[in-house]
Amino acid sequence: MVTPTEPASPTATSTRTEPSPAQPQSSPAAPCLTYQPNVDICDYGTEVLLVTDMPGAKADGMNVSFEDGVLSLFAKVPPRTLPGRQLGHEYGIGDYRRSFRLGEGFDASQISAEYRRGVLTIHVPRLAAVRPRKIEVRPA
Amino acid sequence: MSLIPFRTKRSTGMEPSSLATMSDFRNEMNRLLESFVSRPLMGQSWFESGEPGQWIPAIDLSESGGEIHVRAELPGIDPKDVDVSVSEDRLVISGEKKSSTEKTADGWTHRESHYGSFSRAIPLPEAVDPAKVTARYDKGVLTVVMKKSPTSTSRKVPVLT
Repeated sequence: MVTPTEPASPTATSTRTEPSPAQPQSSPAAPCLTYQPNVDICDYGTEVLLVTDMPGAKADGMNVSFEDGVLSLFAKVPPRTLPGRQLGHEYGIGDYRRSFRLGEGFDASQISAEYRRGVLTIHVPRLAAVRPRKIEVRPA
Repeated sequence: MSLIPFRTKRSTGMEPSSLATMSDFRNEMNRLLESFVSRPLMGQSWFESGEPGQWIPAIDLSESGGEIHVRAELPGIDPKDVDVSVSEDRLVISGEKKSSTEKTADGWTHRESHYGSFSRAIPLPEAVDPAKVTARYDKGVLTVVMKKSPTSTSRKVPVLT
């Protein structure tokens, strides 16, 4: 089971890819705005995949950590203000932060992550003992 | 371990279905607010969206000297699946975002991202030279820089009687 841990305030759920006003969350490391990125979660049996949209982030500014059953994602996004006079502005620039509570049965030591084309993909493998498997029935 | 996602009584009360609903509701309200706020620009919504049901990438637009800059957030898209076309007074960004995950027969999927085709037509504040346009895709962000057309200077139009 992978459950997104929701922020304390129900209003602090703004997405990054939609033209929504920024919802600041507490971020001691960075005083700028922090956004909650969209995520897809897919269960493949042997592993659970978390696919997170983080456009504009840099791989070397990311921090994926696991502690006390909570998988936390943080991505630093460098400022990218367009030059000159702003004529239209639909999305804000800020860091990404989101966390997920993992249930039992996952192998935290084997969690891996990759970042490509603005998408962070995290592989959370299940422990071999709890992976679904087909039991062969042999004739007696 | 439960194989039923997000359905425990220990949940925070916001299950994926309600999260998606609230997310859609919030995004729709933001979209309405955005269209209302952007109305002062030339008396109409500055940006035009594609067909109903299509997802709409967020866009920034600026003007600097002899250039017009447009930046769009397009995470997870193969640059080959993005089409950028420019006429004198309009930029059209279209393409398709394909999902990298598939719903498995015995698994489950919780989906918040938007997939499928998209199209965005952006009226430009001044005419540009279609031959002098550059588009660059980096880290899920598409940046288009267009040179203003030297022939786009305004001229006085006589009113005939």
